[in-house]
Amino acid sequence: MTSPGLAVPRAAAPTRWPDFSRPLAIIGMVIGWELLARLLAGSYILSGPIDILAYLLGNAGLMTRALLVTLEAAAWGFLWGNLAACGLALVALLLPRLQPLISGLALIFFCLPLVATGPILRVLYGTGTGPQVTLAALAVYYTTYLCLLVGLRAAPASWFDLVRTYGRGRMTELLRIRIFATLPYFLAGLQIAAPAAFLGAMVGEFTGAERGMGVLAIRAMRGLDVDATWALASVAAAVSMLAYGALGWIGRRLGSVPPALLMAPPPASGRSPLGLRLALPLAMGLLTLGVVVLLWQGSMDGLGLNRFFAKRPGDVFAFLFTDAQAAANRATLLSAFGATISLALPGYLLGLMLGAAMACAIVIAPALSTTMLPIAIALRSVPIITTAPLITLALGRGAAGTITIVAVMIFFPTLVACLEGLRRTPGQVIDVFESYAASPLRRLTGAQIPAMLPAFFASARMAIPAAFLAATTAEWLATGGGIGSLMAMTASTSAYGMLWSAIVLLALTASLLYLLAGQLEHLVLSRFASEQLVK
Amino acid sequence: MAAEPRDRPPPEVRCQGLAKTYGDAGGALMALSTTDLVFEAGRTTALVGPSGCGKSTLLRLIAGLESPTTGSVEIGGESPLAVRKRAGLAMAFQDASLLPWRTVRGNVALALQLGRMPSDGEAVDRLISLVGLDGFEDSRPSQLSGGMRQRAAIARCLVTEPGLLLLDEPFGAVDELTRLRLNQDLPRLWEKRGTTTILVTHSITEAVLLSDRVLVFSARPGRVVADIPVALPRPRSRDSLEHPRFRMITDQVSAALMEGWQADAAQ
Ligand SMILES: Nc1ncnc2c1ncn2[C@@H]1O[C@H](COP(=O)(O)OP(=O)(O)OP(=O)(O)O)[C@@H](O)[C@H]1O
Ligand SMILES: [Mg+2]
Repeated sequence: MTSPGLAVPRAAAPTRWPDFSRPLAIIGMVIGWELLARLLAGSYILSGPIDILAYLLGNAGLMTRALLVTLEAAAWGFLWGNLAACGLALVALLLPRLQPLISGLALIFFCLPLVATGPILRVLYGTGTGPQVTLAALAVYYTTYLCLLVGLRAAPASWFDLVRTYGRGRMTELLRIRIFATLPYFLAGLQIAAPAAFLGAMVGEFTGAERGMGVLAIRAMRGLDVDATWALASVAAAVSMLAYGALGWIGRRLGSVPPALLMAPPPASGRSPLGLRLALPLAMGLLTLGVVVLLWQGSMDGLGLNRFFAKRPGDVFAFLFTDAQAAANRATLLSAFGATISLALPGYLLGLMLGAAMACAIVIAPALSTTMLPIAIALRSVPIITTAPLITLALGRGAAGTITIVAVMIFFPTLVACLEGLRRTPGQVIDVFESYAASPLRRLTGAQIPAMLPAFFASARMAIPAAFLAATTAEWLATGGGIGSLMAMTASTSAYGMLWSAIVLLALTASLLYLLAGQLEHLVLSRFASEQLVK
Repeated sequence: MAAEPRDRPPPEVRCQGLAKTYGDAGGALMALSTTDLVFEAGRTTALVGPSGCGKSTLLRLIAGLESPTTGSVEIGGESPLAVRKRAGLAMAFQDASLLPWRTVRGNVALALQLGRMPSDGEAVDRLISLVGLDGFEDSRPSQLSGGMRQRAAIARCLVTEPGLLLLDEPFGAVDELTRLRLNQDLPRLWEKRGTTTILVTHSITEAVLLSDRVLVFSARPGRVVADIPVALPRPRSRDSLEHPRFRMITDQVSAALMEGWQADAAQ
């Protein structure tokens, strides 16, 4: 090893005290948690670690059995969902013309409200774990699909030129380049998917399963068993964190570096005239809707499903527009929907802003970063929804409770995404600011926030379906208003016309808002961070 | 596939009426104006010219990675595609284009795999050592410096022993000293077999030292403004730099570059 260019490993710093900050912070958090729980004792809100541990030890058998059941459903959902994502991404890659259609369909399915699809799946499957597995799969496939799409396009053109200089075609490209180039993105997608699968399985169990964590959670919530609720949430969080960590470990073992940018927006429509730029997505949207209607009608007819609960597109149209009570139906649906939006929207904005602001604050005071990032990653995977009844118990059934739940659900993913984005500010850019001894605030606004924008917008987009999920679940389980409660009520009274109408309305709204957020994202990024747009 | 490329004599490259315009009528950008060029078999030609004048574009047209707007390219009477299909050419890209998940060895071996050739660990290691990367066979590109990456990319080009080498600023990120050493050592590889080589470089010294002929391009849209033969004895070495004719030729090249630049500025 005498070559002049030998890469010398960075010399270890001279003997320093080992870094205790992280373990100390975690211990501090746990103690703070216990103290807070003691402070709030008797108010039925929060259990401390000691009570939770006691509960877990006292109910070890029950918890283990439930955990295994849910884990199995989540694992199957994880598998199927990710396989579906791989299949979709592959088709989108091989038939690029179909990609907008596939992405549109994938988005609409992802935006289906779990609260309503759960009961319908329950009717379809009868007993068993079918609904849990399906909901878990629905909860994961979209993020993985997006990661794969970005990854499959992330390779620089010269790698493909290289393949072509040897006269090889697209198959070689796929097998020798794309699959490997995508791997880090795929692993990052799986990491996000693992907690989502667990949450999906639990929500699936809310809808009348016999066994599992979701069943215990419902029981604990209904009985206002605070210790049990927090114990279940803790177990779910621990499982999610473990899965997240394990997948990260596997990624590092495979030598894959976490990708710089996740879930980038769809490619720009370039310099085409404005009319075309608006007309094309519109046509694509209509085409997608048409395909959805066809798929919907076709699958229901093909499977010969009973029209009583398996409503067809025509039934929903009749229910909302041509029936005798159509006007009343619309009024009921829209007023419930309005109530939900009026809570989901402030919660969404609050969670987003607080997450970004917290990330910036952490960067200004970097000592916080080493301790806050792992904690935020951990809390991100907590199925906060299971604590919804307790939050409403603390904050009341009014607006504050639901808004808080939505905000909390969005806060942590946004915080993590923004921190990652801030951390990825190019070193040279920071060096330039350093060389002028710029203040941390100047550095933040001049270099780091622009670098954070793509991550911020990506999470703003992904947070839209999450906000609807949080709001409707909170309404369903706890507050009893809005469209969440309407869906739960109609599911239990077999008013399937209203249920299907609610699904259509929610899925369409979430998809549209998602696309709008994507447009906004594109507008801002092309102005402030054009280099971050995936071409 | 077809016959082993190693058995063939190096090809002559003919470009006829070759031009390339990027973009459509609205935002059209002429990258290379019509050129007729013949690159003689087994000789080395250096292309120099201001940045953005279409040198890379010309190489890509010859390799058939880009289709010409007008004109055609023939490599030894064949189409570029036919030559590529039997691994008859290799190209070094301006950025080294190594695959980050493969080691240096894996990246060099990739050319054999893409060229449907039997794996040949010995040849791979020999070339890695030739470009001065001994001890880094198992390193990944991220652990190498820019210049080391470019050297690995050159090893990848040479391992298939192609008849035509297209090198796009292969030593761009290499320090002067290593560059001089590579300039001495590497050409021996392709000179011995008489590989037809087309080399883009920004260094006039390098252009003259390595080539039999220097083509000077004007600014965009690129066209050849001077065709300067390099009649220096081979094999060349550091001593060639002292050759009385060496300075003369480099001055000629600089003058041609300057002229093209001034003609441009006058417009
Ligand atoms: N794919 C492309 N689309 C549009 N324009 C392109 C494309 N590739 C190159 N160009 C343009 O063609 C011109 C010639 O580019 P080319 O890369 O051939 O220059 P070059 O001589 O290799 O420059 P350099 O010395 O900087 O590498 C440039 O103005 C460039 O902007
Ligand atoms: Mg170039």
